[in-house]
This record gives sequence, C-alpha cells and structure tokens, in this order.
Amino acid sequence: MRNGAERCKIMIAGVGGQGIVYLSNLIVEAAVASGVPVSVSEIHGLSQRSGIVTSGIGLGEHCTGFLARASIDLLFGLEALETQRCLPWLHRNSSVVFCNHRLLPHAVNAGTAEYPDPDKLASYLQSHCKEVIYIDTHKAPFKAIHLNLFCLGAAAGMDQFPLDAVAIEEALSRIVSPGNLEKSLAVFRKGLDYERKANCL
Amino acid sequence: MLKATIDILRSYPQLEARCVMGNVAIARGALEAGVQGVFAYPGTPSTEISEVFKHVDAYLTDPGANPPMDGVDLRELYFEYSINEKIALEKAIAFAVASQRAMCVMKNVGMNVASDALMSIPYQTFAGALVIVLCDDPGCHSSSNEQDSRWWGTMASVPVLNPATPEEAKELTHRAFALSEAIHLPVILRSTTRVSHARGMVSYGALPGKGPAPAYDRVAEHINIPSRNTGAHQALLAKMARPEVAATLQQCTRKLADAHTPLAVICSGITVAYLMELHTASASQTGVSILEIQMVHPFPESEVLEFLRSGYEKVLVLEELDPLVENNIRLIAQKNGIALEVFGKGFSGLMPTGEYSLDLIAAALDSFSEAKIASGIPLPGYEPFCENLPPRPPALCSGCPHRATFYLLKLAMPRENRELVLCGDIGCFGLGALPPLKMIDTINHMGMSISMAQGLSTALARDRKPWKTVALVGDGTFFHSGLTSLVNAVYTRANVLVVIFDNRTIGMTGHQSHPGASRRLPKYHEIELVPLLRGIGIERVETINPFELREGLQRLNRAMQHDGVSVVVAQSPCIFLPEFKEGMPYRRRIAVDPKRCNSCGNHEDLALSCSRRQSPASNLLRARAKLIAPKAIAGERQLCPANICNHGFFFAIRDGDYRSAIEIVRDKMLFARTCGDICHRPCELFAGLSDKVPVKALKKFVSGIDENFYDFSIPIGRAEQAVKNNLRVAIVGAGPAGLSAAYDLLQAGYSVDVFERRHEPGGMVIAAIPGFRMDKQGFRFEAQQLEAMGAHFYFGKSLGSELILSEVAAQWDAVVLALGQWRPASLPVLQQLNGKAPSVDAVHFLERFNEGLETGIPDGDVLIVGGGNSAIDAARAAKKMVPSRRVVVSCLEREEEMPAFAEEIAHAHSEGVEICADSTLVRCESNARLHVFLSRYSTGEPMEDFEVGGIISAIGQQVCVEDLGGSKAAWWDGQGRLDPEMLGKSFSNVFVAGDLCSGTHRSVIGAIASGKRAANSIRRALENYPHPYEGEQMFVSLCYDSMDTNKRSLGHEHQPVVAVHEEPVLPEELTTRLESYNLFQSCMKCNHCIDHFGCPAMVMQNGKVVIDDNACTLCGLCIDVCPNDAIRWVAVETEKELTLT
Repeated sequence: MRNGAERCKIMIAGVGGQGIVYLSNLIVEAAVASGVPVSVSEIHGLSQRSGIVTSGIGLGEHCTGFLARASIDLLFGLEALETQRCLPWLHRNSSVVFCNHRLLPHAVNAGTAEYPDPDKLASYLQSHCKEVIYIDTHKAPFKAIHLNLFCLGAAAGMDQFPLDAVAIEEALSRIVSPGNLEKSLAVFRKGLDYERKANCL
Repeated sequence: MLKATIDILRSYPQLEARCVMGNVAIARGALEAGVQGVFAYPGTPSTEISEVFKHVDAYLTDPGANPPMDGVDLRELYFEYSINEKIALEKAIAFAVASQRAMCVMKNVGMNVASDALMSIPYQTFAGALVIVLCDDPGCHSSSNEQDSRWWGTMASVPVLNPATPEEAKELTHRAFALSEAIHLPVILRSTTRVSHARGMVSYGALPGKGPAPAYDRVAEHINIPSRNTGAHQALLAKMARPEVAATLQQCTRKLADAHTPLAVICSGITVAYLMELHTASASQTGVSILEIQMVHPFPESEVLEFLRSGYEKVLVLEELDPLVENNIRLIAQKNGIALEVFGKGFSGLMPTGEYSLDLIAAALDSFSEAKIASGIPLPGYEPFCENLPPRPPALCSGCPHRATFYLLKLAMPRENRELVLCGDIGCFGLGALPPLKMIDTINHMGMSISMAQGLSTALARDRKPWKTVALVGDGTFFHSGLTSLVNAVYTRANVLVVIFDNRTIGMTGHQSHPGASRRLPKYHEIELVPLLRGIGIERVETINPFELREGLQRLNRAMQHDGVSVVVAQSPCIFLPEFKEGMPYRRRIAVDPKRCNSCGNHEDLALSCSRRQSPASNLLRARAKLIAPKAIAGERQLCPANICNHGFFFAIRDGDYRSAIEIVRDKMLFARTCGDICHRPCELFAGLSDKVPVKALKKFVSGIDENFYDFSIPIGRAEQAVKNNLRVAIVGAGPAGLSAAYDLLQAGYSVDVFERRHEPGGMVIAAIPGFRMDKQGFRFEAQQLEAMGAHFYFGKSLGSELILSEVAAQWDAVVLALGQWRPASLPVLQQLNGKAPSVDAVHFLERFNEGLETGIPDGDVLIVGGGNSAIDAARAAKKMVPSRRVVVSCLEREEEMPAFAEEIAHAHSEGVEICADSTLVRCESNARLHVFLSRYSTGEPMEDFEVGGIISAIGQQVCVEDLGGSKAAWWDGQGRLDPEMLGKSFSNVFVAGDLCSGTHRSVIGAIASGKRAANSIRRALENYPHPYEGEQMFVSLCYDSMDTNKRSLGHEHQPVVAVHEEPVLPEELTTRLESYNLFQSCMKCNHCIDHFGCPAMVMQNGKVVIDDNACTLCGLCIDVCPNDAIRWVAVETEKELTLT
C-alpha cells in the first residue's frame, strides 16, 4: 500500500441515496488494479429507503470489511448524524472526512428526537483524531450527488491514504460512463485540491 | 451491470482476481460447475445469486448481445423466478431428473415453503445434479426468523456445505455440483448474510465445455409410493456413506493453524473469516491451533477425531446460531473417550442468537487463551455522543405508491376503530407498520395476511362487536402464497377485504418480476389480476390508482362495505420502474408556501389564544374533509366579525371535542351562548352560498352544554396570567360592546373599570331582547365572568351626571364609550293622540315585558309601527302576552326590505303576527276606541283601518345627546349622530363602540365586534400594538352590506333546531350535514404531512415543511395531502444546479 501499512480499514457512513456503495466500488476497483487485496462488507436490504448505509472496506491480506471497535483507520462521514453513530469504531490514529450535511430522520421532523449539533462533533473529532478534513456542505461548490466523489478526492490528498490518486482516477474512468467522466474527474480533483488547512476547524 | 454480466460469462483459463460479493461468487461457481438450470425466488440475503442469472438471462436473450462462447454454450442456460420456493425447487428437481445440472436459490425461510419437495426427493433419484442454495440471516437483518438451515441436512439426510468467504463460496459451489452429480442427492450450500453480502477476492477460472444432454430415464424411483419408501430410506443412507461423500468431507476439513499448544479452535462459516483476521494480525498472538469445517452434514467425524487426537485439552467452537458443530464435537469426544474441555454456546457471550462479530470473537479468544489480540485505542469520552441519537429506520421511498395506498387506508379506516384489524404481510410495504403510517396490526410469515384476516374474521364473528378484518398483501407475495389463501376465503365464505399493493414488481429484493408483473420480459406470460380475481369468484373487485385519492377513497369505501370477500387492487408502479417516470412533469418542482404551512389563517397575532387542540387525529379529519367533503368552503367565506376561528370551531365539533369548540369561541369573545341564541349569523348569510356551515346552530349546541359553558376557568386563567401593563381603561356602558372591549383588554393585561347607568350589565341585550329569544341567565353568567377576570363594575353611573367625559378621559389612560342608543325616535302621527290613547315605544315596552311589569298597553289588538328587530320583538312579545289578540306590524318597507332579520320575521309570521308592509300610519283617532288608518306607502292609497288597544312605536333609537355634552358639541354631525373622528380630535384617548358608532349595524355581533375593535385601537394607541383589528373586513361589511345580504336569504333558510341543556349529542341532522362540509383554512397546529404521511423528501425547517428537491420524485401526492393547501407545483425557470439544502 502507498502508505506502507499492512492493512487499512476504511468505513463509509451515510444515508441511502448518498452514493456510498458507489464510493466503495471505486476504492475496490482502484485497490484490485493496484494489486492490493480488498474485502468489503455492506448490509443491503433497505438502503434505498432512506435508511442508514455503512460500508466497511478492508485493504490487505486477511483484512475483512467487517468492523470492530476502535478499528477504523479512515472514516468517510457523508452525513453528520451517521458520522456520530460511528464514533465507537474510531481510534486515536483514525482520520475522518467529515461532512456537516444533515438529512433529518423522521423522528427529528416529528419533533420526538433532536438532531445533534454537527459543529460539536466536528470539534470533538478535531481534538481527538489524527486528522480531520471538514467539509462544509453549505459552501460546497458541487451537486449533492457528487459529495461522495469530492470526499474521496479530499481523502486521497492525505499522506496516509493507502491508494494512489492516479489509481482512483483510472478506476473512475473504468466505472463512470463516458458522458459523466469529465464532470466526475473534475469533482474528484477539486477534492484533491481542497485546501484542507483553511477548511479544517 | 452489463460489464459485470459479460465478465461473469467469460471463461478465464488463467485465474483472474475479482473482488465480488459472496453471492456473485456462488453464481460464478455454478457457472464454472456447468449449471444448466437456475430456479429461484428472491429473498435477502440470497437475491444477488439469482440476480446474476436474471441479468445473464436478459443478456443472452437479447438478440443484439454477443456472448463470449469460450466454454459451454450458454444459450442452454435456463433461468426463472418461480412463483414461490416450492415450485422453484420442484422444477429444479425435475431439471435434475432430466439429467441436467440444476440450482435452486432461496433465503432461509424459503425452504419452509419448499421443504415438502426437499424431504421426498432424497428417497427418490435424479440423473443430473441439484444444488440448493440457502442463505441464512443471523441477526435477522431482513428475515422473519434466524432459523439455522444446516439442520435441513440432518432432517433430509443430504450433504450441507458451509463456506466462510466469497472465495470459499465459489469453491464449495463447484464441489457441491460434483458431489450431487456423483451421489444423485441434492446438496445444500448454506451461506449467511455476511458471507453472501461481503465482497472479497475471488479467482475466476475456466468455464466447462458442453454439459450433459437432457434425457428422461423411466426408473421406478420416480414413483414415490409408501410401500417402497422404507427401502428408499436405507438407500438414501447408503448414498450418504459413499466414498465421494467421504472424499468431500476430507477436502472440506482444513487445518488453518498449528500452534503446538493444548488449545484449539474449531470453526465453521463466517467465524473463520473473523478468526483469521484476528489470528493473522501482526501484533496478535493467539496461541491456538485452528480447524475449519466446511461440510457440516454428514459431519467429518474421522477428520475431527484425528485433529482432536493431537492432544488438545481445550477446544473452543465458533459457529453462529445453533451448536451443531459443537454438539458433534462433544459427541465425538464422548464416543471416543477423549478427555476434552469444549467451550461453545454460553461461553464469553457466544450465544445461539444474533450475529457474531470481530469484537465478540476477540473477547472469546481472549478469555479462552489469554491471547493478545491487536486492537486500537478508542477515542476518549465518545460515549455521551452516542447516547440518545435519533433512530433512522428505513422508510418507504419518496413517491412510493405504497405510501399513497396507506394514506388512503388511513383516510378510510380510522385507527381509533378498535374493531378493525389490518393484517399485513412481507415486503417493502411492511414499513407501513412504522410511524408515521402505522397502518398494520399483524405481520407474520410470507403470505399469511389473507389467512390471518379470514381466520380472525371467523373467530371474531362470534363477538358482539362488528369486527372487520383487512388483509394487506404485496403483489409478489399475493402470487407467492396469498392466492391459495384467497381461494380458501372465497370457498369458506369469509368476510374479509383484501388490499393488494400492486407496485408491478417484487420491490423489496430489488425489482424482480412475478406472474402478475412480467410484461417487460417476453419470456414470461403476465397474469392479469382482475380477471383472475373475478375468475375465482370475488364479487367485488375494485382497481384503484392510489395517487387518485378522491376516487380511490370512494372505491375503497365501497369495498369496505361489502359483506363477503372483496379485493382492492391498488396499482401503481414502484418508483424504480421506468413506468414511474411516464408522464412526469417537465421543468416543474414542488414547493411549500411557508405562509400557509403550519400558519394560522385566522389571525396574525400569534399571541392571541388558540384553543384548538394540536392532534394528529383532528388534522387527519381536516385532510379527509379536503378530499371527500362535497362542499368545500374557504374559511374566508364564513368570517366572523368577532374573528372567531370558524375553521377550528368546525373541526373541533367534527372531532367531537365540544369543550375545545366553546373555548375557540371564547378565545375571541365572551358571549358564546348569547350568540348561539341571537346572532344574526353574518358568517352564514354573507357567505354568498346557498349551502354553508351552520355556525350559529353549532354555537347554540356547544354553548348549550352546561358543563362546558359554566366552566370559565380558561379565559379567567388567561387574564390572570396576562402580563399586567399598568394601563387603566374606563368603559362607559356595560352592553355587549363595552363588555367585549373589557374582555379583550383584560386578557391583554389592562386594568379595566366598567361604568353602567343601569343596575346590571347587559344594556339592550338584557333590557330589550325578549326572554323568549335568548337565555338571559346565560348572558348574566358570561358578563359576570369579567369580574373574575379582574374588571371592576360601577353601576348607577351615568355620563353627564355622575361621570363627566373630560374628567374620565383625564383620569384613565383610555376610555371606551359604549353608551348605546336609548332615546326612542318619536312618531309625529302619534302626537294626534295627545296622550289620550295608550302608546309606548318598543324598548320601553320590551323592558317592562322582560321584567314582568305592566307594559302600558291594554289587552286588545296592537299596532306596531316600524320594521326593525325591535318592532318584531315587540310584536312577538305582544302576541305571546295575549295570544288571541291581533298584532299588526306596519312598516314603510316592502317585506323583503325590512331591516329586521329574516328569521325573526319568519318567527313572527309563524306565531300569527300580521305584517303590513309598504304601509304608513296616516291617522289615528282616539275617541272611545283607538282607531288607526293605514295607507299604502308607495302609492298613498288607503289600505285598512281598524281598532286597536294600543300602539307601539318602534321607529328607531337615538343617542341621548345630553350625555355627551349636548348637540352643540363638535362631535355631533348635525343629524343627531356622533362623529367618532371629531370626538377623537377632542379626546385622543376616547374610543367609541356599540350602537354609538354611527355606521355599526345594530346587532349583538356588531356590538361585540365594535367593542373588540375599540380594544384593538386602544392597544395600538397605548402600547404600539402592531396588529390591525382582524375582524375588520367582516365588521365593515356588517355595517354596509348586511341589509341587502340579509334580504337575499329571506325565507330560504332552514335552521336546524338545537335543544339546549340536554345530552351533548349533536342532532343527527347536523352530524350528517357536517360531514358534507369542509370549511378549510390554513392552521398553525397542523404538521399533518409529518404526522401521517412521512415522505422522506419532506423536511422540517424552523417549524415549516420544505421539500428536498434532491429526494423529491415529483409524485405530487403531498399537494392533495396538505390540509393547509400549502403545497403546489412551481415552474423551474432555469437549469439551476440543485445545491445541498
């Protein structure tokens, strides 16, 4: 792996419709092409029906996509509440790509539950994790459906990301339909160039 | 998908690495084993296996496809989604009988349906191969139980293989085909959710050449008859003992680690993957030997025995669900006298329920061996962040037709009705059991809904209450196993309604076709539901489009009322089908108007009290009325001059909440019962409609319930809790106008002093309105409540004597002048009598009448002069005093132009009062008798002359000018009327209310409204209160239009008779009438779409609903759902990028 690690566990958390499976497919494609063994675990069934979707990706020999407590090296949190739910899986050396995007569950709409404050979570992550890339989706210069690609780009810019950005761009060109490739590459590269120092809390 | 399909059909002589799901690996394994027929019923977690073949099938049957033909001629591959698992297995068996290699795929519970076939085929034979894939679901991610399918091996005596990873899944599939073909027995490949759904590295190899040719061999084993079966059982056991089985067992028992310690772990299934991850982590030291068991039936006894004989003292067994491996190991140890401690279920949290996990196995290993398992350090203090997080259960998709159908059911079937049971079934639409829909009472196994409904119906028929049971079933499930139950319902004459949620696909598992929805695939013949239902004898079949709420509701109700078996087919495509987008609006989006969403349509000052209860049930009533009430009336058509929220009032009554109804009246004014008695109901008369909500009758009804009427605690509480502003207001005149001003001011925190000339409050209402028209005690009670609210009353105080206007204006912060008009206008012709004959004015007459005193009119016939309400009141009073006397009302106007209220005139007529319209009293002579002469007013020709005992003059009232400083004061307009503007110039803090306002219509509601308006003016003047008087529009029209409008409705109105002080039951006539109305208006206490509809595209922001364009599928149903009429289509003007909201 690019970062020299034997294994790397990645988790992607969000809500059905955010392109989580698509994002994990991209990572898988890039890993296979890079000769890195890869395993994935997703729970399917009702993901299209605005439920929680999580995907675990294990890179390296005998490294499954299954999650254990304090085992996630890199977390993609595409939705604030679902990121918060993932805290037990994180450890002191975890990196987090955190979007403050909020998708309100019914209980919040109905007033029977309160949506937690994304800023509080962001500052907690910032002070306890190794690296946090904070993406303020209110200022995001792209469509909601591209949030996943932007996050992947932002993560791929980190030193400890296990795969080469080039491998991901190649994976994109194999997976994405030709009509959408240019736009997708542009969003990914925008993520790569994300000036995270300025945007970190 | 096409790429993956072509990839899976390609033969790779050199192994190629792929990262695929366990289920895809199984499909690839079957292809590499040369499978020729695949039969499946979709079901999580097995579906992706059959999906591969669905796509392969679609690709191979596409004439434009160019399939790679490196190996087998794939065009021989047959695939079908069978109607259910039993048929799938039976057809797969038949395929194997025809010497073919068959595979049958289903989820765990599918085998419960198919087990009849599983249990008998091992006694028989086939020439080909049969692999049955069963996918278990420990932890019940998407299943009705977590049954352990490994037991089917023991039950049916067939081999069971159990892979741990996608790679193993592919290998074992291959092996299963080989074994089945060798021993002519089905072989079960058992997977679990985590194996099926995990993706891992899998090698794609070569595909085989042409498979066996189809053939049918007529052998005796194809006939299952009891006499042969004992022998067949022996033959079956012999098959299981064949060397091919032993060889497979050997292959499938693998030693994965040898630690040379006395500790061993024996594992099977997904636990192998967990264990190996922990075991191989560089920082971990487990110190255990590891044996993997891939074939669990028959059990690899000799292999395990050999392993155990290596001298282990302790063995930890890791397997999910039942202790099948564990029990076999205990058995082997016991049989062979091996001293061994076995750790399994019950050890370190290893339970027979739920899934295992890396954490669980790490802990077990730790306890078992004191191993050092590498693990990260959790974040410090994260726990509080994970407490009480809002749940995010899956919901029906935005635009889902099932939500539409559930909403229809909600409108048709009130959940308050306990005698209504909704029996649900398996499928996406089972989400209808969750909030906010909550329209399912039972869900059992697949297809049980119709049996549950008919069974309950039969059982509950013996109860006295009229139970109705409804079965709710998806289209796929209906064909799967509902159809036979429905035939049973028809055959046993059950009384059930069956609603088929026909979304044209099997939605839950990713859109497979079924017999009722296969039009898109030419290989299948679609079975039309309606002819099928008619064919089996369903008498009432209704087809509805659930997005057509009005029509749907009618049809649903028809089906509900049917006695017997009725079926509603709610047909509309799943949003993931291409049909869903047909006819979709172009360049339009759906938007919520924040001015209407959760917004009060009655008043803009939200600090004003609103007693409407916020209840989902009552908003459902509003939503239902919007759809079904034939008479929809906008709230602004039936406004009240006192700005009572007639919308809230109406729906409180519809809801049976009579207490809230009277409080809604009292939110705005004091005199609920008085208005129920004598209001001339401008809200009805001015509506300009032939049919409108009978507000007055309803008011009479709710205010007639003594228990509620005499409890005034809520308005008193409001006055007590009002923040006191230390401003003092003097109210001069305690008639309805002055008292209404006091009522509003007290609730706004003012200190109020009321001065009244007479000895009690009430003014003209008490003095001049006859007791037979209203409940005077009720009025007195209402007026008295002002004292409890903090007002101080001073009686016997007249302006001009005890009170001087300029002094009052100087001493109080504001003054309300509500003196009324007490001076009768004099009738010149009566001067001819020189007081020799009895003649009085109407107010004087009525005042005496009300107090039971001598009226000054003798018992003979009476002439009343005047056409207003006082004239009619006096006439009716005179008639009631002496019913035998002739009472004639003479007025200048034609009858339809009389100022009196039409209803009152009608009453007078019915009581025998004669109205002599268009007449004038030209002369009266008083000799021995009083003789009066009437002429036609319009032409002057004589009409009639007759003798009367007395004359009552009712030609109007005037202000006592002296009270206000005489007619020379600046505020008199020269015609005996007060000019409030001029008065205001003299006294900036004096406000006028009641009859004193020259423009006010002289009615009780006009008086109330003018009092409220005066209070509003005071608030605006003294505390910069920003809101206008919200009854203004209606108040103004009262002044100028009422005469004309009143006439238009003359005599056409039938007012329902409401008995007062009886049981609070709305008369049936009114109840049925009310159901036909919708008096609609936006309401702040709504939230209906969140409480009852729950589309995921609807998001609450600052108390208002907004539509998330990213999630909205433009189905448009919310537009019909919204009782506030706040949602509508809007044009999308530019190609604007939808940004995150």
